[in-house]
Amino acid sequence: MSRIREAVAQVRRLPSVRGAVVLTNDGLVAAAELDAEQNSEVIAGLASYLLMTTNRSLGEGSLGRCAQLTVHATNGKAVFVDVGDSFLVVLFDQFAEIGPAQMGIEAAAAVIRSASHMA
Amino acid sequence: MHLIQRMKIWKELRRLEQRVREQPSPSTFVDLGQVYINLDLHDKAQRIAEDGLALFPKSPELRQLADCARRGLRQKRLTELRAKLLRSPTAELYQEIARLQVEAGDSAGLHETCQEWSQLFPADAGCWVVLGQARLVNFYRDLSAAEGQEAVACLQRAVEMDPQAGSARRLLGEVLYRIGAVRASLAQLEELQRCDPADAEVAALLEHVRTLGDRGSDLETLLDEVEAHGSLQHPSLATAQPAHADAAMARVREGLGLVAKLPGVRKATFIRGSKALVKGAIRDGRDPFLRVVRVVAKAAHRFSRRLDIGSANKTVVDGPFGHICICVFGEALAAAQCDVDADVTEVLAELQELVAGALHVATEGGA
Repeated sequence: MSRIREAVAQVRRLPSVRGAVVLTNDGLVAAAELDAEQNSEVIAGLASYLLMTTNRSLGEGSLGRCAQLTVHATNGKAVFVDVGDSFLVVLFDQFAEIGPAQMGIEAAAAVIRSASHMA
Repeated sequence: MHLIQRMKIWKELRRLEQRVREQPSPSTFVDLGQVYINLDLHDKAQRIAEDGLALFPKSPELRQLADCARRGLRQKRLTELRAKLLRSPTAELYQEIARLQVEAGDSAGLHETCQEWSQLFPADAGCWVVLGQARLVNFYRDLSAAEGQEAVACLQRAVEMDPQAGSARRLLGEVLYRIGAVRASLAQLEELQRCDPADAEVAALLEHVRTLGDRGSDLETLLDEVEAHGSLQHPSLATAQPAHADAAMARVREGLGLVAKLPGVRKATFIRGSKALVKGAIRDGRDPFLRVVRVVAKAAHRFSRRLDIGSANKTVVDGPFGHICICVFGEALAAAQCDVDADVTEVLAELQELVAGALHVATEGGA
């Protein structure tokens, strides 16, 4: 569990990242590094719904499972990475370039994936 | 409600919420929404109905749930407004109550509200505008001369009381030209333009009305003719512009063609409302790509609105199928499915051009 928390903390330190959370597929928070004004439960509920909806529509079309979902909104960005039984959510500010942070996110996702397998 | 009852309900809610997540179906959403309605939490019931409709847009049960939740919310708001009205009546409160009654189709309640409103605030033209609007809805639906006369009388009274009442003058101008009283309509619309010369919609409407033939100014006879023929004399501005709409769609089709030709792009679509243009390897309207695009765009929009980060304008889904890139701007949506090695940034830029262009065309055409 500490390896997952450490990986989330590393993602949080990436440039322009406002928060990072690891959620189980049913929407429970496994680890979170967020600003004080962000509520991990709210993010968990919304992210879980978005991923569930996306995976369901992909599954119905026999397209497989979503590996990564990126949302660019007017005042912020969000990246969701599938890490097996759970997913990593990374929140950015609206001016962020996701490209430079992508490697850091992938590295953290790999750590979380292996830590989940060991657990 | 005592503690044990509250705990039982809380437990039941947790169970139903889990069912919605694990086995989403119209009935699981309806069961959860029903519990919220029973608890008088209509806002939560409405949210559940909307979430369900995003997944099952054609479900009649979910639509009924959404209607029921909306009715409950409206009723709650009406009760609050009436309580405020008892303490300190204002014209704004009457206006909001009347608006809710129009939405609910409660014509008896609306008349009662407007009567009170005009007695307490005799100088306020608002009640006549609302009554005129409600009558107009009935007139356009049934083409009944009596409803038309009532609507025109209410709107004329509103305009006499407040010559600056733009919405009343506009509605009056519109109904007059639709029944054939083009000269009378032009007088209203020209006055409207004098009040706000920068209003492009009024300018477009005036241009349209000037091309129509006048059939006199005897409103009673004109309304009787409409009722007898079962049709209005002149088309609305929106239906009179099919040529412009065709040209706009041709431009969108051309843009979509450019997206489909980008390296690695397999399928591309442009969606506005219920209409979709497609390019590439799409079999029919039931192609899974189209469903994924609609569902993901809606879900991403809801996610970002609720997280308070604005509107989701670009979304990319990666998976074994490659990338699905979605770009949304206002009502327009463009999307493409491309191979794993395609340049996603370039595809998104082209999709953005397409939706921005479509929006520009819509603004130009006043659509």
